[in-house]
Amino acid sequence: MNKFLLSLSVIAMSMLLFTGCKKDDPVIPNEEEVITTLNYTLIPSDGGTPVVLSFQDLDGDGGDPPVITGGTLAMNTTYDGSLELLNETETPPGDITEEVEEEALEHQFFFQTSIGGVSFTYEDTDTNGNPIGILTKVTTEGSGNGTITVILRHEPDKDASGVSNGDITNAGGETDIEVVFNVEVM
Amino acid sequence: MLRLCKHITIIIIILGLSVVSFAQNCNLTVSGSVNDLSTGKPIIFANIFVQELQSGYVTDSKGYFISNTMCPGKYHVYISHIGCETQELYINISGDTVITVFLDHNNHLLNEISITEEGGEITTEETQSLNSKNITQNSNKSLASMLESISGVSTINNGSGISNPVVDGLYGNRISILNNGVVQSGQQWGVDHSPEIDPLAANRITVIKGVGALEYQGSSLGSIILVEPEKIDIEPHLHGEARYFFETNGFGNGLNLELQQYSKIFGWRAIGTIKKSGDNRTSKYFLRNTGNQQANIALQFEKLWNKNWLSDLYFSSFNADYGILRGSHIGNLTDLEEAFERDVPFYTQDQFSYSISAPYQKVNHLLLKFHTKYSISEKQWFDFTYAGQYNLRKEFDVRRSGRSDIPALSLKQSSNYFEGKYRNYLTNNWELKAGVQLSMVNNTNLPETGILPLIPDYNAYEFGVFGIISKTLEKTTFEFGGRYDLENRKVATISSSIPREIIRFENDYHNFSGMVGISYQLGDGWEVAYNFGSISRNPEVNELYSSGLHQGVAGIEEGDPDLGKEISFKNTLSIKGAVKDRLFFEGLFYFQQINNFIFLNPQDEVRLTIRGAFPVFKYEQTDARLIGFDLTATCKLTEQFNITGKYSCLNGHDLSNDIPLVYMPPNNLYADFSYYIPKFGKFQNIEFQINSRLVFEQKNILPSQDFLAPPESYYLIGLKASAEKQLSKLRLNMYVRVENLLNETYRDYLNRQRYFADDLGFNLIVGINISF
Repeated sequence: MNKFLLSLSVIAMSMLLFTGCKKDDPVIPNEEEVITTLNYTLIPSDGGTPVVLSFQDLDGDGGDPPVITGGTLAMNTTYDGSLELLNETETPPGDITEEVEEEALEHQFFFQTSIGGVSFTYEDTDTNGNPIGILTKVTTEGSGNGTITVILRHEPDKDASGVSNGDITNAGGETDIEVVFNVEVM
Repeated sequence: MLRLCKHITIIIIILGLSVVSFAQNCNLTVSGSVNDLSTGKPIIFANIFVQELQSGYVTDSKGYFISNTMCPGKYHVYISHIGCETQELYINISGDTVITVFLDHNNHLLNEISITEEGGEITTEETQSLNSKNITQNSNKSLASMLESISGVSTINNGSGISNPVVDGLYGNRISILNNGVVQSGQQWGVDHSPEIDPLAANRITVIKGVGALEYQGSSLGSIILVEPEKIDIEPHLHGEARYFFETNGFGNGLNLELQQYSKIFGWRAIGTIKKSGDNRTSKYFLRNTGNQQANIALQFEKLWNKNWLSDLYFSSFNADYGILRGSHIGNLTDLEEAFERDVPFYTQDQFSYSISAPYQKVNHLLLKFHTKYSISEKQWFDFTYAGQYNLRKEFDVRRSGRSDIPALSLKQSSNYFEGKYRNYLTNNWELKAGVQLSMVNNTNLPETGILPLIPDYNAYEFGVFGIISKTLEKTTFEFGGRYDLENRKVATISSSIPREIIRFENDYHNFSGMVGISYQLGDGWEVAYNFGSISRNPEVNELYSSGLHQGVAGIEEGDPDLGKEISFKNTLSIKGAVKDRLFFEGLFYFQQINNFIFLNPQDEVRLTIRGAFPVFKYEQTDARLIGFDLTATCKLTEQFNITGKYSCLNGHDLSNDIPLVYMPPNNLYADFSYYIPKFGKFQNIEFQINSRLVFEQKNILPSQDFLAPPESYYLIGLKASAEKQLSKLRLNMYVRVENLLNETYRDYLNRQRYFADDLGFNLIVGINISF
C-alpha cells in the first residue's frame, strides 16, 4: 500500500511539473481548398479593352474585409466571359478553376444582374451536356447601373427545370461562392 | 452497488437445520415476504422463481409466499416485480428458511433511488435514475434520449443520432457527465457533439439536479449525470445477458452481450455493443444520410485483496459514426433561407439507405480507470483513482476534389486524472467526505484538415479540493460543503489575419464553490428538502477564442478573450411523499441566477465573404435567471393499474437585456396508463402501457432571436408491452414499443435540424433480453 501511495504521489508531482511547459506550437494548416480570389474577365468579341471584375479576400472568412472591384461595360456589346478562381494563400497561387472543371458534373455557376438588357449564355458543358459556366457570353443593350452576381453551387440538381438555362430557383445544392459586383453599362 | 443493496435488502433466516442432511427429505418449508424498501409495506404480485425447480410463486395480498416441498440444496432464486430490478439470490437451503426481500418498488414509480452510492450515501439533493430494465427497454435510444423519461430532462439534438441532455435548462459544458465516476473528457463545447458513452454498458443512469457539484471536477453549474456499471456480482458461476433490438424507423439493429463471473481470484465482466441504423424517416420522407453505427466494448475487473482492500479496473472503448442530414449542409444565408421554404429537404431520396457519407462525424473515445479502496474500518476508508481518457473526433464535410474524405475538423484530446478521497462515518450521525483531484487535458488539432481550426490547441491543468459534511438528527439531515479549484490553461491560437502567426494566451482561474442543504421528514413518508449552492464555471476555449464560420447555422461565431467566469446561485426546494400508498408525488422547484452568463449574441454587423454575407454572432455575457419546476405523480388505482403524470415548466430570462434566453426547453407534459398482470400462463410480469407526450410551443422568445419562429406544440402517443418468461436456465424479457403511433408530422424547438426537416415519424421497436 505504501508503495502504491508513493508511486501515486510521484506521478502527481511530475504532473505538476508539466504545468511549467507551454503548449507546443500548433501546425498551421495548409489551406489548399480556400478560394481567395475570383476574377471574371470580359473581353469584347470585336476586340477592345477587357473588363475584369474581381473579388479578393486573402485572409479568408475572418480578418480584413475583401477587396471588390467592379467595372464599366459598353452598350450593345457582346463579351466573352471567363472565370478564374484562385487560392492566393499559396505561392504560386492554387488554381481552383481546374478543380471545378474536374468536377464539372457537381458544379455550376449562375449569373444574375439587376441591369436591364444584360444577359448571360453558357459557353461550356459538362460530360452530360449541361452547362458549367466557367465560359460565358455576356450581351449588353442600353445603358444602366446596377450589380452582377456570380454564384457557384456545389452539387446542384442540374436536371431540374430551368437550371440548364441559368435559372437558380430549382438548383438546390450549396453555395460555394456568391459575390456581387457594381457594374455600369454606358 | 447492487451487491450492497442485496446485503441491505435481503434477510435470510434458516430456522432449523435439517437433522439428517444426507437424506433427501424434500419437505423443507421455504417461505417469506416481499416488501417495499422505502415504506416496508408488502408488495403484492411479486414473482419468486427458482431456477433449479423451474417453478415459481406469486406473493399474495400480504406479500407472502410459501413452499413446503423444497429439497436441501443450492438454488438460484429470482425475485421480480414490474419495474423493479430483478433480485438474484444464490442460497443454500439446508433447513426451513424464511426469506424477507425488500424491493425498491415505490421509488421506481418516481424514477427515484434510495441508495445512490456505496454505503447508502445521504444527500439532500434531488436524485432520479433509470435502472437496467429502463435502459434495456430503450436500447435503441442514445444516452440523452433515454433520460428524457425523467421529468425536467430534455435533449438538444442535431438530427436523430446526435443528442445532448438538457437538465433544468442547462446543457453542454454547464452540466457534467460522469462515466463510471470519471468526468467525461471530450469535446463538450459543441452542441452538435453527443457524449461518447454507451448507455448499454451501464446498469444505472442517475440525474442529480443539484445546486453545486462539489464532489466532482468539471464545469457543472449544479446538475450531474452519472452513468454507472453495477458491481460484479459475487457469484462463482458464469452469468451473462444478451440483448437484441430491431426498430422499423431507420431499420436499426442492436446487439449487446454481457458476461460476468467472480472466480476465486477475481471478478470480471465484459460488455460489447454493436448498433447500426440507416436513414430515419419522418412522417412523409426519408432523411438522407441520418444513419449511425457504433461498436463499443467495456471490460471490468475487480479484485478483493483482503477484507480491507479492494481494487478495480475499468476499460471502455466507444466508436461511432454519425451521419448528418445531407440537406442540412448549406453554404450561406441564401441557402438557409431557401431551406426554410422547402417542404422536403434538398437531396431527399425515395429509397432507404444504410450508407453514411459526408457530412458525418467519426468519434472514438477510450477510458481507462483504475480505482482502489482501502478501508481502515467499515466506517472509514480511502479511495484512489487514476483515469486516462483519449478522445478522437473527426468531422467530415462535403468538399471539393475528393477532400470529403479528409476531415474538416480533427481533434485529439488526451487527459489524465488523479483523485484521492476520504470518507468517514463519525459518531453521532456525522459524515465526512473530502478529496483532492488533479487533472491535465491536452487538446490538439490535427493539421490534416487543411482548414483553420475553429477552436485552438490548449493544455489545461486543474487542481481541486473539496469537503462535505452531513449530519442526521432524528428527522432532519443537514449537509454543507465547499470546494476550491485552480485552473491554468495555456492556449495557442492561429491568427485570422495573414501572415498566419501563433498567438498565445494563458488563463488562470480560482473558483470557490459552496452549498448547504437541509431535508426534513414530515412523517407518513413525506420529505421536504431545500438546497442552496454557489458555483462558477470558467469560460471554455470556444467561448474565448473561436473564430470562424459555423456552417450548420450560417453564422460567423467569434469568441471574446476577455470573458470572465460565470457564477451561479441556485436554490432548489423538493417535496416528495405518498398519500395512503396510492398517490406518490415528487416536485422540484428551482431558482437559479447565473451572473456573467455566456451566450451567443447576434450582432448588427454582417460580414462579407466569398460565399456571400453572413450574420455575426459574438460570445457575450449577461445576467441570466432560470425559474422552473418539475413534477411527477403516480397514482396506483389498483395493484394492477397505474397512472403516471409528469410536467416540467421553465422560464429563462436575460436580466441585463430584459429579453428571453434562447434554447430553453419548452414546457412539456407526459402521461401514461399501465396495466400489470403478474402471471399469465408461462409469462410473468406482463405490462401494457399507453403513453403520451405534449410539448408546448416555446413562446418565450423574440422573433429577432432566431432565424425562424419556434415550431408549434406537438403531441405524440406511444405504446409499450413487455413480459418475462423463464426457459430452463434462461430468463427472457421481451418488449414491443411504438413511438409516434399516429405518425405525426412535427418539429422540435431543441432539434437544430428543425430548420431543414421534420422530426421522426412512426417507429416500432421489438426487443428481447436473455439472461442466464
